[in-house]
Amino acid sequence: MNYTEKIREIAARLLENGQVDMVMAWEKGDLEYQTIPFIARTVDEVSRIVCDEYSIHNLSNYLLRYRDGKEKIAIVVKGCDSRGIVRLLEDNQIARDRLYIIGITCDGVKDPLRAMRQHSGFEKVEKPEDGLAAKCLDCRQPNPVIYDELLGEEQTPRGGEDRFARIAEIEQMSADERYKFFESLFSTCIRCYACRQACVACNCRTCIFDETRPQWVGRETSISDNFMYHLVRASHMAGRCVECGECERVCPVNIPLMLVNRKLIKDVNEFFGPYEAGMEYVEGRKPPLSVYRENDPDDFL
Amino acid sequence: MKVLKFGKIEQVLDRLAQQAEVYVPMLRGQQTGFYSWNTYDEGYDDLMFDILNVYQSPKHVILPQTEMMYRFRQEGQDVIIDAEAQEITPKIIMGIRSCDVRGIEHLDAVFLTKGYVDEFYKARRDKITIIANACYNPGTNCFCASMGVNPTDPEAADIIMREVEVGYVWDVKTEKGQAVTKQIEDLLEEEEVELFPLKRFLRKVDYEGVAEKLKDMFDDPMWEKYSEPCQTCGICTYLCPTCYCFDIQVKTWGEEGYRFRCWDSCMYREYTQMAGGHNPREAAKERFRNRFLHKLQFFTERYGQPLCTGCGRCVVVCPGGVNIIKIIDTVKEAKTGA
Amino acid sequence: MHSSNTQNPLVPGIVEVVKIIDETPDVKNFYVRCVDGGVPFNVMPGQLAMVSLVPVGEAMFSVSWQEENDHLEFAIKRVGLMTDELHRIEVGQKLGVRGPYGNGFPVEACKGKDMLFIGGGIGLAPLRSFIKYCFKHREDYGKITILYGSRTSADLCFKDELFDKWPKEKDTQVYVTIDNPEEGWDGHVGFVPAYLEELKPNPEGTIAVICGPPIMIKFCLQSLEKMGFNDEQVITTLEMRMKCGIGKCGRCNIGHEYICLDGPVFNLAQLKQLPPEW
Repeated sequence: MNYTEKIREIAARLLENGQVDMVMAWEKGDLEYQTIPFIARTVDEVSRIVCDEYSIHNLSNYLLRYRDGKEKIAIVVKGCDSRGIVRLLEDNQIARDRLYIIGITCDGVKDPLRAMRQHSGFEKVEKPEDGLAAKCLDCRQPNPVIYDELLGEEQTPRGGEDRFARIAEIEQMSADERYKFFESLFSTCIRCYACRQACVACNCRTCIFDETRPQWVGRETSISDNFMYHLVRASHMAGRCVECGECERVCPVNIPLMLVNRKLIKDVNEFFGPYEAGMEYVEGRKPPLSVYRENDPDDFL
Repeated sequence: MKVLKFGKIEQVLDRLAQQAEVYVPMLRGQQTGFYSWNTYDEGYDDLMFDILNVYQSPKHVILPQTEMMYRFRQEGQDVIIDAEAQEITPKIIMGIRSCDVRGIEHLDAVFLTKGYVDEFYKARRDKITIIANACYNPGTNCFCASMGVNPTDPEAADIIMREVEVGYVWDVKTEKGQAVTKQIEDLLEEEEVELFPLKRFLRKVDYEGVAEKLKDMFDDPMWEKYSEPCQTCGICTYLCPTCYCFDIQVKTWGEEGYRFRCWDSCMYREYTQMAGGHNPREAAKERFRNRFLHKLQFFTERYGQPLCTGCGRCVVVCPGGVNIIKIIDTVKEAKTGA
Repeated sequence: MHSSNTQNPLVPGIVEVVKIIDETPDVKNFYVRCVDGGVPFNVMPGQLAMVSLVPVGEAMFSVSWQEENDHLEFAIKRVGLMTDELHRIEVGQKLGVRGPYGNGFPVEACKGKDMLFIGGGIGLAPLRSFIKYCFKHREDYGKITILYGSRTSADLCFKDELFDKWPKEKDTQVYVTIDNPEEGWDGHVGFVPAYLEELKPNPEGTIAVICGPPIMIKFCLQSLEKMGFNDEQVITTLEMRMKCGIGKCGRCNIGHEYICLDGPVFNLAQLKQLPPEW
C-alpha cells in the first residue's frame, strides 16, 4: 500500500486553496518500519506526508483534540478508520462539514509497534515477522464507508469465516473457568490507559476512570480494580466499537482486548441487531444502546 | 575469577530463594518482566538472562505499583491509625542491566535525599541486593552510554555478572554482594576466562549542554510538533525505569480501610487537576513538555543527572512513535539558547 | 522539618477538631488540637500541612494561623470530594495531620518594611497567618495595608477581623472590595487588580504579598510592576495539586521547584525563572 504521492497532491491542493487548515496523515519516523501520525498545516510540510504499508494508526481518534475548534480538517482514513469517523459523527463530536475525508482502500498494513518490538532486542525472535498486522488478518472493512474523495481499488475483506468462534468457545466455559480465564488476562494490566487513549469511541470529556467526585473506580492495580476497569471499558464499547483494533495493538502487555469487544459486538448484534457499528452515517441515527425503546430486549439482565 | 556456569544457574536461584525473594527476567505468557523465582512455572515461563532486556523494568520490586501505607479504623468521631511497618522480606534483583541499575540510583536520589527520607522506600531498599548483568551488546534503541551509564559496570550493583563463553563471571562489588555470594560459593568455580568486548552502540545522542539549552526552549514550537502523535497514555511512564511519580489514595469499606500509594503518570490530565477546577497543565502539549523537561532539564537541575538512562523502552513501545532521542537531537541542533 | 509526631513523614498524627467557624457559605475555619493538648507541630506563617479526613482523603492546606501552643487553624473552602466531607464534620471529629511543609513567608527579611497584603477569596487564608504575625510582632513591621476582595460580600472571609479588629491596629489600612454591586453594600465594588491600581500603593520600602486565584495574581503582578515594585518586593504563595508534601510524588513541580518543598512562597524574581505553569 502506498498512497504517498496521491495524498501529497491532494494535501497540497487543499491547503493551497484554503479548503482545509490541516491535513492529518503520517510521516516517517527514525526507522524504516516506523511511520507515525503527522499533521501538515502548510504546503511546505506536505512533502513530509507519507501513506505507506506502516500507516496503521486510526487517525480519527486525533480529531478529538480539535472537537471544540473551528478548523477545517482533511484526514486520511482506511476502511476501518473511516468507521471511526462515523462513530464521531454519531456521537456529535465533530461536524461533518469541518471534515474533508480522504478515504483509501486498504489491502492491509504492517504494525510499526510490532516491528519496533521485534527489532528492539526486548523479544526473542528468530526472524522478525514481516507480514500484515494481527488486526488486519481479521479485517472486516477494507473500504472506507464515508469519504469525500476515494483512492484505490475496492478490496475484499480478509476477515476469517467466523470472527465469533473464539467467543463461542469462551461462552462454553464454566463460570469458574471463565473467571480464571479473564483473571489471567486482566491481572497483567498495568492501567496505562493506552487502550482508552487509542480508542475513537472513548470520547467522553471526562472519562469515568478520571472522575474524582465521586471516584467510581479505584486506582489500585489489583484484580478487582482491574476487572472493574475492563468491564466498564468494555460495556461502554457495546454497540459502539468500530473494530479498528487499535486498543489491542497498543496494549503494552498484550491483553486481547478485541476478544472482549467482539463478545459485545456479538451480543448487541443478537439482542438489538442485526447491527454493525459505524458502517454508514445517517444523520441523527444512533447506536442501539444510545437510544431507549420500550420494546428493548431485557431478558439478558 | 569466580564463574557461575550456565548449568548451575537454576541451582543458584533455588539456593538464593531460600533466603530472599529473587526477581529474575522472564518471559511470562506474552509479557517480559522481572518476576519472583518462587513463582517460576517451567511450563509457562522462560528465564531470560540472555535477552537484551525485558519490557517491564524491575522498578516495581523497589517501588511497587500499588503499596499499602497504613490501615485505619473509624470509631464514631475517633480515628485509629495502624502504621506498624510491614515485615519486609529481603529481595534480590538478579540479571538487571546497567540502565535499570541507574534507574534505581535515581529512585534512591529521589526517595532518600533532599530533606526527607521516604521510610516505605528505605525499608525495602535496605533489603535489596542488586546482581547486575553486564551488557556487552547494546540493542537497536539503546543509548545508555550517551546518558552517562556504563553498560558493563553499573555503579549501584552489589554483584556484576559478566557473560562469557561458559557462563557468568561473578564479580562481587560490595559487602551485601559478599553476603549473598557466601550462600552459593560452592556453586561457583574458579576459572580464568576471557571477557567479551563491548560492542559499538547503534544509537548515540549528545546530551552535553541540553539541560542548559532547554531553559530557553520552553516555548519552542517543537513541543507542539512532537506532542502531536502522543496519545497521552501512560505506557512510557509505567515502563520507564526512572519514572517515579505516585498518587496517594484511600480504600475504605465501612469503618475501616487503608491508605495506599500507586504509580501515577504525568501524562494523565488528572495528575495536576486541582479540586477547584484549575489545572496548570491541562493541554496534552503541556503535559508532554513537562515530562520531557523533567527528564532532561528539571531533574538534572535538581539532582545533577538526567532522568533518562537510555534504556530505549519508551522509544520501542510508544504507539505514536514519540522518540526522546529525537527530542534530544532537536535541542542539540537548536539555534536558540546558550 | 520532619513531622514531629511520627517517624514516617507520610503517616499523619491525630488531632481533634475543637471549634468550627462558618466564615462564608462555603468556607469554614477549623481549629485543631492534639488529643492530649497542644499543637501537633509549630508552623511558620505561610507553611502548609496535609490534613486528612482519614477514611475519605488527604489534602494540602495552608495553615491560616497557629495560636501559640493551643491550636492550628485551617480555613477551608468547599471545592471537592474531600472538602465537601470536611464541611459535614462536627466538633470532636478526629483528623489526620502531617507537616509542616514548605518554606513559609520570609518574615525575617520583611522586618522593618511596610507591608501590602493583597488577597482574593480564600486566598486570604494563607495571608492571614502573616498578617496576624505582623500584628503580634507589630514593632518589627512598618505600615500595614490590606487589600482584599471576593465575589460577593457573603464570600468575604474573616469578617470580624477584616472590619473590626484589623482596622483598629496601629498604622493599618484595610480595603475591601466585591466584584459586583450588591444591595446593602456601601463599600468598594470592582476587581482586586483594578482597586489596586486605584490605591496606587507606594513601592518605597514596601513588600507586597499576594494570594488569590491564579488570574488575580497574574493581573496584580502586572499592576505592581507598573507601579514600580521590583521583583524582590513582590511575594506570592502558590497552590498546586499535592499528594506527598515531601517532594517525592512529582506533581507539584513548576520547573525544577516543588511547591511543597521549595514553595509555596516565591518572590516575583524567582517566579520569573520558572515556567508559567501555575
